[in-house]
Amino acid sequence: MSGRVWLYGFVALTAAYLVLPIMAVVPAAFSAQSFIKLPPDAWSLRWWTAFAADASWRRTLVTSLQVAGLTTVVAALAGTAAALGIDRCGPRLKLLFGALFLGPVVTPVIVIAVALYAMARAAGLVGTLTALVLAHTMLALPYVVLNVGVSLGGLDRRLLLAAAGLGAGPWRIFRTVTLPLIAPGVIGGAVFAFVTSFDEVVLSIFLSGPTVKTLPVRIWEEIRVEYTPLVAVAATIMLTLALLAALVSRLMTKRAAT
Amino acid sequence: MSGAGGTSKGAAAALMAPALLVVAIVFLAPLVRLFAMSFEAKAGPMATYLEVLGDPIYRHVFVNTFVVSATVTVVAIAIAYPTAFALTRIGPAWRTLLFACVLFPLWISVLVRTFSWMLLLERNGPINRALVGSGLIDQPLSLLFNRTGVLIGMVQVLLPYAVLPIYAAVLRIDPALIRASEGLGASRLRTFLSVLLPLSMRGVATAATFVFLLALGFFITPALLGGPASMTLSMLIDSLVNERLDWPLAAAASMVLMVAALIVVGLAGRFVSVRAIAEAHR
Amino acid sequence: MSTVRFEGIARHFGPVRALLPTDLDIPQGEFLTLLGPSGSGKTTLLNICAGYLEPSAGRLIVDGRDVTAAPPRLRNMGMVFQNYALFPHMTVAENVAYGLKVRNVPRAELSRRVDEALRLVRLEGYGGRAIRQLSGGQQQRVALARAMVIEPAILLMDEPLGALDRQLRKEVQLEIRRLHLARPRTSIYVTHDQEEALVMSDRIAVMRGGRIVQIGSGADLYERPVDTFVARFLGESNLIEGRVEAIADGRARLAVPGLSAPIEGRAAAGLAVGAVASALIRPEAIRAAAGGIEAGVIERVYLGEIVALRLRLDGGHEVWSRRFAGEVPAGDRIAIGWDAGAVSILPPAEAV
Repeated sequence: MSGRVWLYGFVALTAAYLVLPIMAVVPAAFSAQSFIKLPPDAWSLRWWTAFAADASWRRTLVTSLQVAGLTTVVAALAGTAAALGIDRCGPRLKLLFGALFLGPVVTPVIVIAVALYAMARAAGLVGTLTALVLAHTMLALPYVVLNVGVSLGGLDRRLLLAAAGLGAGPWRIFRTVTLPLIAPGVIGGAVFAFVTSFDEVVLSIFLSGPTVKTLPVRIWEEIRVEYTPLVAVAATIMLTLALLAALVSRLMTKRAAT
Repeated sequence: MSGAGGTSKGAAAALMAPALLVVAIVFLAPLVRLFAMSFEAKAGPMATYLEVLGDPIYRHVFVNTFVVSATVTVVAIAIAYPTAFALTRIGPAWRTLLFACVLFPLWISVLVRTFSWMLLLERNGPINRALVGSGLIDQPLSLLFNRTGVLIGMVQVLLPYAVLPIYAAVLRIDPALIRASEGLGASRLRTFLSVLLPLSMRGVATAATFVFLLALGFFITPALLGGPASMTLSMLIDSLVNERLDWPLAAAASMVLMVAALIVVGLAGRFVSVRAIAEAHR
Repeated sequence: MSTVRFEGIARHFGPVRALLPTDLDIPQGEFLTLLGPSGSGKTTLLNICAGYLEPSAGRLIVDGRDVTAAPPRLRNMGMVFQNYALFPHMTVAENVAYGLKVRNVPRAELSRRVDEALRLVRLEGYGGRAIRQLSGGQQQRVALARAMVIEPAILLMDEPLGALDRQLRKEVQLEIRRLHLARPRTSIYVTHDQEEALVMSDRIAVMRGGRIVQIGSGADLYERPVDTFVARFLGESNLIEGRVEAIADGRARLAVPGLSAPIEGRAAAGLAVGAVASALIRPEAIRAAAGGIEAGVIERVYLGEIVALRLRLDGGHEVWSRRFAGEVPAGDRIAIGWDAGAVSILPPAEAV
């Protein structure tokens, strides 16, 4: 019995270790002081108003949302199409393309970042939305392909035959049968694509420029020098948005399960 | 059943084309180009590799990267195993909660998670103040900008990747086997060593591969929590590009890192599919 | 309603010949069942008819038109799948309406026809239900309504009752038969269940090893099977092996080792004097007969109004006899006999 107590105690500690430290930025963002002390001696919203008043910080947030939004659309469309394409391949090609799309997942991000930086510099694309969206799309694609692939794997193929037998053409079958049934996978993949882009730091550090800069890149630049409660505000915003995305994804999987 | 598909090969190619184009232009082409750049040093085609692999300073970086990655892997597995085991044993409500605790960090940017650690591990941060205040230590510990900080932060960031594959493996073990072992008079330790551990070895191998692979290429956390003495390979690559502007050398170091990652994947490929790795990512 | 004609239709999967070249004519309004064990080619034939599978050779003619190359959606065939393949994200009514929407049927007519189809399968009022709220039998009937509402040229059914329990199967069999008699429509039904085939079909094609072994009415197949395979597949059968002694006037005599007298019966095609053959005697044809062949009773199985007896003839052969309970003699030994008219002499089934 005591072994059980030990196990539970250990697990509670692990859970705390996993979750609690992440929250440290939140009280820091509500400090009334000009420096970060945890917990703050006095609380205020002054750093939130400061963030809202600062055009350069605001711009990074807008850029982040723009990049993440565009990445989500491109990755969801291209990734869903790719998953549908892979699904039509024979087993060997399936394996090959599967591995190809997973390449970015197993390659160290810093290597991709440096390689992309060199290429973007040569093409004059450093500091452009295009470069950021393309780079984030490449990172997000595997998750969309994987998610949609899992949905497709669970799709009863006879439903497509049934629809064809009832007279439906390929496009109608896709619209009325395939798409509604793989929608949870597509949406799940899209949410993950959004978060992947919004959370991404390393590629963005290399590809951002003075005018086009994402929120994480700005945070990164600041905390390498000095960290103020303003950075904690930015970090709290990132945390909150990611949390919202996690909730959306959870709701989707729950709905798909019922 | 091909009748419904029509020209299914052409359709498959057309469907995959946009994504393949992105992967080709944004992933494959830059890597190939970087590979070519690694031979473009003025001192001769192989000079970069000779320097990266020969210079004692760089060798120190390699050793440090390896030691950090290996330590993180061992510690993460040691924490993940009991956690994963507990996940399979506790009631559904607690399981949901604990599972949420494991998955939740994956949604949060590594940058935010690392920044939180910086606030916590500071010389005058809450952890040091609590330790000093409780009288456990006289002087604040130096937890930040050294290997201790890197380990604390990296283990926390990578722990979910270790828990998930082990959980999947333990889940597949028939609980009757444990009862059978205990029924035959085996002690708990013996049951663990002779039944549980061997049957979940695949999960442990997947977890270890996964954590080690990610740790090898980790950049944000070591760059922010570590100091100059605990430089890792990815920090080196960054500084070669951004500070020394030595592209061929950075390219060569990148290739070394990539080959190391490929070797890990290749060695692990015997137990672990790359797909499983990516799936655990989700 | 249409006529269907398979001309030399064949299909192989790599080296596996799933269907040997097959000719088959189905007249308008006929309910034809393809009956056979798994791997006999019956589902392959059905899928070729639906257009889900391309034949490796041959032509498919529907109403005089060659549709071999037509995609499924242009064939106007209603298919009922094993496990139904109902769209899980649509209601009952939406499932039934699907084929009509594809055909751009105006809304008023569409809802009228959906209601009518649901009424026909006795599911009126179920239109708004989700598929997963229905029982297996109800789902089966939705599948039937969905296939029939488009007024298909041909109704195709692939073991549609396989997932139902025994009691429900019997009900739905009769239901399908009732629907067919009310509105005869050319139908092809695939099953491995002989009872289903006998209850519903105008004609039955027995398949084995990728070809049709025999085709005819249920009575034809039961009373005049072409070989031992068909005899075994339809109904209970006693098969006693021997050698053909003589053939004359459509009758044959079979010498059976261990039996004092040869067995005489109707000669099936393909018999040769001296060749191995089997005598088929249905269990219901075997009765007690004074002065007949002596047999020991090994087992009595009570089946309600019927009692089945397992008998060992003095030559060592075992046969089953099925009689009404009142006619079964008591005791361990009885003398049995049979009508020569109830016996067929059959060639062995071809090796597959």
